[in-house]
Amino acid sequence: MWNELLYAFEAVATLPNFIAMAAGIWGGVIIGAIPGMTGTMAVTLALPFTFYLPPVTSILLLVALYKGSTYGGSISAILIKTPGTASAACTVLDGYPLAQQGKGGKALNMALVSSCIGDFVSNISLFFLAMPLALFALRVGPPEYFMLMAFSLTIVASISGRSLLLGIISACIGLLLATVGEDIYGSFRFAVTEDMKSGLGVVPVLIGLFALPELIKMIVFRPEDNNAAMKLGDNRLTMSEFRGSLKSILRGSVIGVVLGAIPGIGPSTAAFFSYSEARRTSRNGDKFGEGELEGVAASESANNGCCGATMIPLLALGVPGDVITGVMLGAFMIHGLTPGPLLFQNNIGEVYSLFIGILFSSVFLFVAGKLTAGAFAKISRIPQTLLLPCILVLCVFGIYSIGASPFDVTVLLVMGVVGFAMMILNIPAAPFLIAFILGPMFEDNMRRSLAISRGDLGVFFQSWISWGFFALTVLFIALTIRREWQKWREKSRNTAQSA
Amino acid sequence: MTPNRDFYTGLMATAFFAFVLFVLIPIYVKVPSFIPGFAPPPDMWPRVITGVGLAMGILAIVFAIPKMRLASGERVTTIGQTLNRNRKLIARFVAVLIGFAAFTYGMPVIGFVPATILLLAYLFLMTGNYSRKIWMIGLSIIFPILLYLVFTEVTHTPFPEGHLFSAYIADSVTLI
Repeated sequence: MWNELLYAFEAVATLPNFIAMAAGIWGGVIIGAIPGMTGTMAVTLALPFTFYLPPVTSILLLVALYKGSTYGGSISAILIKTPGTASAACTVLDGYPLAQQGKGGKALNMALVSSCIGDFVSNISLFFLAMPLALFALRVGPPEYFMLMAFSLTIVASISGRSLLLGIISACIGLLLATVGEDIYGSFRFAVTEDMKSGLGVVPVLIGLFALPELIKMIVFRPEDNNAAMKLGDNRLTMSEFRGSLKSILRGSVIGVVLGAIPGIGPSTAAFFSYSEARRTSRNGDKFGEGELEGVAASESANNGCCGATMIPLLALGVPGDVITGVMLGAFMIHGLTPGPLLFQNNIGEVYSLFIGILFSSVFLFVAGKLTAGAFAKISRIPQTLLLPCILVLCVFGIYSIGASPFDVTVLLVMGVVGFAMMILNIPAAPFLIAFILGPMFEDNMRRSLAISRGDLGVFFQSWISWGFFALTVLFIALTIRREWQKWREKSRNTAQSA
Repeated sequence: MTPNRDFYTGLMATAFFAFVLFVLIPIYVKVPSFIPGFAPPPDMWPRVITGVGLAMGILAIVFAIPKMRLASGERVTTIGQTLNRNRKLIARFVAVLIGFAAFTYGMPVIGFVPATILLLAYLFLMTGNYSRKIWMIGLSIIFPILLYLVFTEVTHTPFPEGHLFSAYIADSVTLI
């Protein structure tokens, strides 16, 4: 193992990898700092460029973007009271009051330090937990894989937002679009035009769905320009301030790791959970919400603590923990790497390189944050009316360059319109993405298993692993139904009272 | 009872999945005469998905009915009134669609770079914020050219020159 780690270290410590990580961190922070632009957008926008990079460099670039955008979200949260990303929403509570008191720089420093610590703890957990989980999962065949995919699809329930029903509708649209093209036995489905015979590309669909609706929304609704940003002010973070928040940072990091490793929960929940725990246990709990550094530390350590941990189910089982890792799953597959137990058997060199590279990226995050906090603060003021159209053109160039296909550009634009329509109809986009990526694997394993068993459905219940995943799926569905029932009852009660 | 947004969402989902299930699948998902082993036919999975989607769409309509009895922020009176009230927004959305369609059909004719310059300029105009005219004009021209140079140098992508200009260049060469 140590020899392999040494080789991996050598493979990662190259100039192209360092450039990719630095570019990813800076790019991520820039995108994360701009309100309305999310980490998912950052990662999807970079997808076309990864086609020209080696697999490990590509994934390191995407991971760096993920981490950078998670931290970047705190910049606009602290300085303009607008979280750049959803996971930074909790940072606003204490970050903005600190900026109003002239301590914006201090809050940003605390956000950076706690993000880096959370990130580092998360990376270490990835290093030690992913391998044993993958070794266990090596015993899976098509039927077990089908059950695993069924379990993965249940995360649709937790990323559906306001309505589970609309989440399922969104997932069905994703599953349906994933069937376009040739199936595993060579039959063509929905091949309305010649171009559609090869199916819809993952990259144009994802970019269209996540990057374009924001532009269309801006054109249609024409919202007000960005808020004015607060000045950085007092910049120094003292040792005593850091020590005072250390307990919350470590607790937040662990919360981030635990919640991040469970598919479907994500950094926003982790940040709010960590914040409420810090508030409950802190001596200054009553000052939370008025500009308490510990509040910023608790929230930021937890949301960055999720970054590495969401990669645990992705690498070990091939199950994306959230939307961003869903996009990364697509990126792995584009490069011929299939996340899951076999990755640890067939591509162990790449896996170790990823581990080492991900550890490096924490250092890059710290350096990038320290050196350019002032410059990043200005980024949050870039007007979206200039930025979003340029992003569309960048997407068009990027998509066309992948396969020199005008059809891909058409798919990009059509998916942008579909994404906007879904936004207007309150249909969440995240379940679509997960279903679109997992759909083909789900179907292929189901059809293979049924072909092996000559149509006998019992093949899905022949091993205890299948039973285990089946039990988890049933449990998850039961919990979701219970939660929805409680929500419905509460709503009916409120309606009756108001009537 | 007045329909609300949830009702229309359910209605659209139901119509979409019904159209796929009853029209598109029979036409565009052909079942081969021979299927190896006992593998399920290719239309099985799309039928399952659309069936579930259809059921969910109907459920969305059913669940929207109690809400339709109540006044809410999402209340929609009639389709006509809604369209009339939001006609500016709808016009902008249609303008976006026209812009995208013009780009898709125009790109092979006038070439990739001129088409993206026009698209970017059109989108800047559509944002409605004209306070940074110099930036808009400059970016519309420089940004696509810069991207073109980067992509042709780094990725050697053969961007379409456009039939119009190719023909013009070919004619000029013939004349010379």
